[in-house]
Amino acid sequence: MIPSDHFVRFYNEVFKFLDEHGGMEEFYREISRHQELHCLELFKAKGLRGMYEYWDHIRIEENCDMSLQLLPDRLTLTMHRCPSLSKAVDNDAGPCAKYCDHCPGWVIPLLEKAGYTCEYNLVDRMKPQCRMIIFPASANRPSRVFAEPLEISGKAPV
Amino acid sequence: MRYREDNELHLDFHGTTNTTLNYVGERFGVDALKSILRKTGRDVYRSIREKLAVGDASELLEHLNWFYYREKGRYALTVSEDRIVMEVFECPAIRQLKKLGLKPSEWVCLQTGEVNAGMCENTPWRTELELVGEGHCIQRFIRERQP
Repeated sequence: MIPSDHFVRFYNEVFKFLDEHGGMEEFYREISRHQELHCLELFKAKGLRGMYEYWDHIRIEENCDMSLQLLPDRLTLTMHRCPSLSKAVDNDAGPCAKYCDHCPGWVIPLLEKAGYTCEYNLVDRMKPQCRMIIFPASANRPSRVFAEPLEISGKAPV
Repeated sequence: MRYREDNELHLDFHGTTNTTLNYVGERFGVDALKSILRKTGRDVYRSIREKLAVGDASELLEHLNWFYYREKGRYALTVSEDRIVMEVFECPAIRQLKKLGLKPSEWVCLQTGEVNAGMCENTPWRTELELVGEGHCIQRFIRERQP
C-alpha cells in the first residue's frame, strides 16, 4: 500500500512518466471524472456555497494553508501553502516540473460541467501558492490558466 | 524517518491512486505501471533503500509500522535479523475503496509488491508478496547473506 500521505509522491512519478510518454491531458480528464464522485452533485445543487463547503473540508483534511472568500458572484480560493506541491518538492525523487498543472486540469472540466468558469493563477510552478476565482459561466469570461505573481493578479479581479 | 506525516489524513487519496493505477495500466500496460511503482519505491524511499543497503532495516520497520498504524490497518509485524514479515489482515487502502464504492483496481496489490521491490533494489534484501485474500496479504523482506 502506498500510504495516503504519500499519494502525492506517487502521483508526481506518474506525471513524470506521462510528460515523457504523452497522455497528461487525458489523465487530467480521467481524474476530473473521478472527482465528480466527491463534488459534482454538491456543486450543481449548491453552487458557489457548495464549492465553499467542499474546499473548506479539503482545507482541513489536506492540511492546506488556504483562505476562501465567498461573494454573491464568485468564490476566491487563495492557497498560501499548498501541501500537495510542498510534498512533491520535499521528496527524494524530486518534483515534476508540471506538477501544478493537474489541479486546473481536473478542476476546470468539473466546474464547467457544473455551470461555472474559473480563472486559475498557478503563480509559479515551484512555489506552493496559487489562486483560483470561480464565477457562474458566462460567454465573456471563459476559463483560463495562467501564472503571475499573486500581488498583481490579486488586484485585478477582486 | 524521512517522511513522517502526523497531521490530518486524507484517505480518499486511495481512490485517486486506484484511478491512476487503472489509467496507466490500461493505456500503457502493466510493465509501465510496474516501472513507475518500482521507481517510486527506489527514489521516493531512497532513505529506506540506502539504509537497507548497509544492513539497517530500522527505517523500513518504522515506515511499515507507522503508516499502517496511522491508517488503522489490522496487521502483525514480525522481525528477526534477516527476515521481516508484515501480515496485513485488513488493508486500509482496500477498506477505503470499498467505503467509497469503488472497485479495487486489478493492480491494487501491485503497488505494494513493486514499491517494496524498489525499496530493496541493489540492497542485500529481497521482497515477496503473498496475497491471501482480499485486503489480506503477507509482505516479506528477506536479507540474503553472502555465502
